Amino acid sequence: MTIIQSIKSFMIRLASMPLAIVILSVLALASVIGTVLLQNQSETDYLTQFGPVWYWVFQSLGLFDMYHSWWFLGLLGFLMLSLTLCLWRNVPRMLKEMRAKKVTMADHAWARLPHQDAFVIQSEDLDGSVEKLKKLLPAWSWRTQQDMPGGMVSMRGDKGAYHKAGYILVHSALLVILVGGWMSVQLGFRGNMSVPEGEVGNEITFLKDTDVQRKTMPFSVRCNSFNLEFFSTGAPKEFRSNLTIIDDGKEVLTSDIIVNEPLYYKGVRIYQASFGDGGSSLGLKLFRLDGSQVVDHAAVNVYQTYTDPKTGVSLEIQDFKAYNVQNMANPGEPKKFRDLGPAVDFVLRGPGLKPVKVRSFMNPFMQDDQNQGMFMMISLTGDNKDFEPLFIGPDFSNAKEWALFHAFNRYAQEEAGEKEAYLKAFKRALNEIYGEDRPADMQDMGLRMLQTTQMLADFPWPFIPVLDDYDQVFYTGLQLAEDPGMDVVWLGSAILVGGLCIMLYVSHRRMWVELSLRDGGISVRVAGMANRNPLAFTQAFNQDLMLLKESFAHQTQEKV
Amino acid sequence: MNATTINSNNLSWSARLHEGSVAWLRLITYFGMALGAAALAIWGMDAYSENGYLPQLLSLHGATWVIGGGIAGMLFGALTRQKQAQYARVVTGLVPWCDGIIMMVALMAVYTLFEPEAALINYEDQSNFFSGRVVMAMNVLFMFSGICYIAYLFAPERFIARMATMSAWAATYAGGSALLLRWYESYLIMGGDIGHAPVSNLYEVFILLFCIISAMYLAFERRYNAHGMGAFVMVLVAAGVFFSLWLDSIGQADIKPLVPALQSYWMKIHVPLNFVGYGAFAVACAAGMAWLTRARIEKTNPQSRMLNTFPTLDQIDQLAYKAVAVGFPAFTLATILGAAWAAEAWGGYWSWDPKETWALIVWLFYGAYLHVRISHGWNGRTLAWWAVVGFFVTLFCFVGVNMYLSGLHSYGRLV
Ligand code: HEM
Repeated sequence: MTIIQSIKSFMIRLASMPLAIVILSVLALASVIGTVLLQNQSETDYLTQFGPVWYWVFQSLGLFDMYHSWWFLGLLGFLMLSLTLCLWRNVPRMLKEMRAKKVTMADHAWARLPHQDAFVIQSEDLDGSVEKLKKLLPAWSWRTQQDMPGGMVSMRGDKGAYHKAGYILVHSALLVILVGGWMSVQLGFRGNMSVPEGEVGNEITFLKDTDVQRKTMPFSVRCNSFNLEFFSTGAPKEFRSNLTIIDDGKEVLTSDIIVNEPLYYKGVRIYQASFGDGGSSLGLKLFRLDGSQVVDHAAVNVYQTYTDPKTGVSLEIQDFKAYNVQNMANPGEPKKFRDLGPAVDFVLRGPGLKPVKVRSFMNPFMQDDQNQGMFMMISLTGDNKDFEPLFIGPDFSNAKEWALFHAFNRYAQEEAGEKEAYLKAFKRALNEIYGEDRPADMQDMGLRMLQTTQMLADFPWPFIPVLDDYDQVFYTGLQLAEDPGMDVVWLGSAILVGGLCIMLYVSHRRMWVELSLRDGGISVRVAGMANRNPLAFTQAFNQDLMLLKESFAHQTQEKV
Repeated sequence: MNATTINSNNLSWSARLHEGSVAWLRLITYFGMALGAAALAIWGMDAYSENGYLPQLLSLHGATWVIGGGIAGMLFGALTRQKQAQYARVVTGLVPWCDGIIMMVALMAVYTLFEPEAALINYEDQSNFFSGRVVMAMNVLFMFSGICYIAYLFAPERFIARMATMSAWAATYAGGSALLLRWYESYLIMGGDIGHAPVSNLYEVFILLFCIISAMYLAFERRYNAHGMGAFVMVLVAAGVFFSLWLDSIGQADIKPLVPALQSYWMKIHVPLNFVGYGAFAVACAAGMAWLTRARIEKTNPQSRMLNTFPTLDQIDQLAYKAVAVGFPAFTLATILGAAWAAEAWGGYWSWDPKETWALIVWLFYGAYLHVRISHGWNGRTLAWWAVVGFFVTLFCFVGVNMYLSGLHSYGRLV
């Protein structure tokens, strides 16, 4: 065997269907792996999950970014090669088959056709009968051949002759889609850009393997505003950014984008992908617990750290949210959504203090219209999952309660050792702060003061930080993508669907009719076949036959 | 269907509605109306908003789009009337489906009379909605139908088969109209703020799936007189009914607001089309099971009376192929449209997200089925198994991915 021959036989094998099925199966199996094994996670996650040996095995097989690994791409390339060869091998044959429409047929071929019948027309007008037949069955495309021996006329009708085009279209469409996908990967990009309200950005970042890569866009995007809307359940309803595109120093276009409605500029699509705090400026009140009754004010922005000059305690501000809707119902009860109001997240650190994560709310906690005092949540691990509520007791945002707390502590020390010292101290404190004008929930307040005093006695922090005011600024998280392959993919997809419909629903039906003058009448024989759906064809063929017989009825006589 | 043109004079009026140029005209009019409704979503509103769509559709503004589309369709239909002979099979096949949808809308309109008063409606407790009752009726009817079909295998009486078929029809109408009613109900809570099409969570799409499976099967049953297969189809549906009852019991049946990513007209195209695919694959699976069962009975007990209730092996085999031939292009189109939606919502048409990838796996699986069937002429036992296994792959894509894998499609997540 020469080399050429073996290459040829190799290519034929490549173009064969069993190989196609093997490739499809391997692709399917590989895809399963990719969905079971989480892709593009961090190295440490994989190491803890699999241990070093398996990590190394998986890593070298590229399983952590499988869909971009050499072997997966190789498989896709192989598929493209196989498709190309298969088209190259089959298309010429099929085109020839589609065009070939031999009108006449040899007798042994007639004998093999599954559907046949014959009848006689009582007429000698051969041409007229041919014309009439064509009119009776207009859905068939007819060809006639007349110069036959014995004055015979042969006719052939075709329906759905383009059936084979379905095969060609489907397989070329797959090729087109794969090429489009390859163009997307090679020529396109997709990256993220975070732009705080009022600021301008022009650089996107994206992950390539495990490194973060940057790319400067040929234009800049300014975020004029970002807006959030909520349903009354607290679920987000809409994220909307108002953007201005700045190209060459000129503002060219201003538009809103929301999820599902991206902006399109110079081949780049700009999507609303995420959002977050863009560095809101916050004011916090620091309620000093050193007995001085001093309340300090700290001004700080999100993502910055405030360090208290008096104590060296620092607050690393991590996040701010103006709404905190939570389901306040106990498990099993109907849901009860409540907005707990603005809250700031920070990590509190200080000399001799264990760092903790705190979510401090601006408003006191209200339960059934009762003021339950200052409210925050503490997470000792720093993880949001581990937040535990912490009720301080009094509502210090009310200056009188803050004063009352100090008066109470002062009197409690004076009365120490006396019988019912705390009760006396509380009464004296009330007199000092409220005078005759006693608060309505005096009883509860007394209990809370007592609790608070006991709790704060061994409270580690030198002050209680409470959110006081804010000026919220968002950043909008945009995704910018350019994809020159996308339209190619859409084209391929359209061809694919069209081709599938032709391949699956169009059957190539053929009908042959022979008319010959005999014994003062016209002897007719009819035969037909279809390349699929024989059941339906039998039905249709018999109907057409019946129509012919009935229409020629006054001239017809069953042939014996 | 050329025979009908010959003796159309002696057709009854109801048959005439379903044949010939009347059916053609009606079908093209329905298409026009559907296109009008789609055009309203794309061009007729300042910006598409999910909870604005239905009110728009039902307002005068929407009516002009839909009726305009209908009239345009009707004109087109009238001009192309002579074409009807050529497409007769398609037309007579499709018109009843459109009629069915119109019937469901009418049923839904009747149900609205039974809704609780506005004061009694609230988001937290949706148990007093009428759709819940209709769905319950659907559940009962499907199970009853399943029992009848199974009984029919053992006692092949025409009467039992009729009961089975009729309850399956009733259940299908109940399910479809209940879904439409849920669409309407979603506008009754929270001041119409969260209105959306009823294809947004697992519970809703399950109901859709039952109806599609059942309607598709019933169409096949009518054509092939395949009552014996009903047992297999309805067992699948009944299993689904139990699953959806469980979903209901854990509070997954509530109408909930849509996350922003789902607020798109794509949802109404992508999701139902996907379920046409899933439903067809389910029917193919039932056909595969029926084939295997019949083959087994033929071998072990060729005299069994049960064989009379089944179509022949060849017919069942054909039917499975037919179902795949319906499902595969629908699924292909659904996947492509899903990619188009992803390109609009996520910034890329293909992200190798688990749901996407599993859709690809399902697609490859049935693609291979078509290859071995059409090119290699395989049929019978292997392909019966192929259809059965294929449905399990499909099921994993549909439910399994939501339960076990995470990804961008996480809206469908359970609990
Ligand atoms: C999943 C998508 C695909 C579908 C639905 C599909 C469908 C078909 C069908 C129906 C046929 C029979 C055509 C006929 O004889 O009329 C066929 C043949 C064939 N297909 Fe595919 N195909 C797909 C993908 C592929 C791929 C990816 C390859 C390449 C590796 C391929 C290679 C072939 C080959 C070699 C034949 C045999 C052609 C012949 O000898 O007649 N197909 N395909």
